[in-house]
Amino acid sequence: MTPEKKEYKRDVIIEVTTDLTFPLILLFGLYIMIGTGGTGGGFQGGTILAAAYILYITVYGTEKAREKMPESTNALFKSLGLYLYNGAGWICILFSLAAAQWLNMPAFWPITDFVGVSGSRSFLVGYMVSVGIGLTVMASFVSQYFDLAWKEDEEMGGR
Amino acid sequence: MNIPKMNPLTWTSIVIALLLIALSIYAIEDLPAFGDENSAANKKIKLFSLDADGLVESLDAGVLPVEIKTRIEDLGFIEGPTCPGCQNENYPTLDEGNYEIKKIEKGAYEGGRIYTEEGWDVLIREGEIFYDEFQQYYFIDEMGEKLNVYRYNWPVRVVERTEEETFIINAVTSGLADYRGYDTMGEETVILTGAIGVILLIRRRGRL
Repeated sequence: MTPEKKEYKRDVIIEVTTDLTFPLILLFGLYIMIGTGGTGGGFQGGTILAAAYILYITVYGTEKAREKMPESTNALFKSLGLYLYNGAGWICILFSLAAAQWLNMPAFWPITDFVGVSGSRSFLVGYMVSVGIGLTVMASFVSQYFDLAWKEDEEMGGR
Repeated sequence: MNIPKMNPLTWTSIVIALLLIALSIYAIEDLPAFGDENSAANKKIKLFSLDADGLVESLDAGVLPVEIKTRIEDLGFIEGPTCPGCQNENYPTLDEGNYEIKKIEKGAYEGGRIYTEEGWDVLIREGEIFYDEFQQYYFIDEMGEKLNVYRYNWPVRVVERTEEETFIINAVTSGLADYRGYDTMGEETVILTGAIGVILLIRRRGRL
């Protein structure tokens, strides 16, 4: 007894709710991700961003969600996060600030001196480190969910 | 002589690999040595300084002067509440027989630490059940007419000196990304590796 092939059925309530909450979840994830001066962090922010995309995939199906998050962008984000984090560390090592001290980078970065606030000096690198972690976490989770949710009769062309 | 023809891609990858090797050697040179006194794990915090008259002989004899002891206890490193109605502090006390003072020569290597200045280590027995040994708590050195008292303590240093050292106000962020930066780098790499493993194992599509 094989299960019948079901057509994709639209549900207006779920779709409208998703459309309304999707940008808000993204915004909240971004707030958590770059809020390193407060309560946030890269891992948590990346997970919330991934949750937004996973909600979108479950509601609209993999085929339509691919347009929101193409696989090429996903692969790019996955490695870009690691490059951002490790790049900050490499720059610190090259300028001999300290071996493991990522956040000391603004000591030579003149952009932050234009701001003129002493507290803002390391925010740029704090953001860079956190955003790097968050991008990797988000793209990894989304790509795993895509792989698990994919069915053979959907998305035959690939993207 | 026959020089084999090489793909331009091969040349490029060889050059990139050599650059990466050079960068790695540079990074290894840049790492602090084991026991480096100024590395993050071994740094000490200066608590206060006081006049040295008459205290040096007492320190050499192995007795902590009362002046230093009262100053340390005034800072709140005591057992019991620091103010009426406060939470109990649980710092090891400087009672007689509970501590030991050790003279440190310049350049000595003790306890995984290289000393660049001479001074006195104050070791305290904490009274743990399974590790009842003397542990490094305070360091005293003589500078001119003054005695400087330092404290070895990792959490106190992270909480109090984080803004000065990393220019960030949040101690948790500096702990995550600065003091333990290599840890976070590894965690991120683990996540990426897991995602790549899932892609290789369960992705069944011809194209990416």
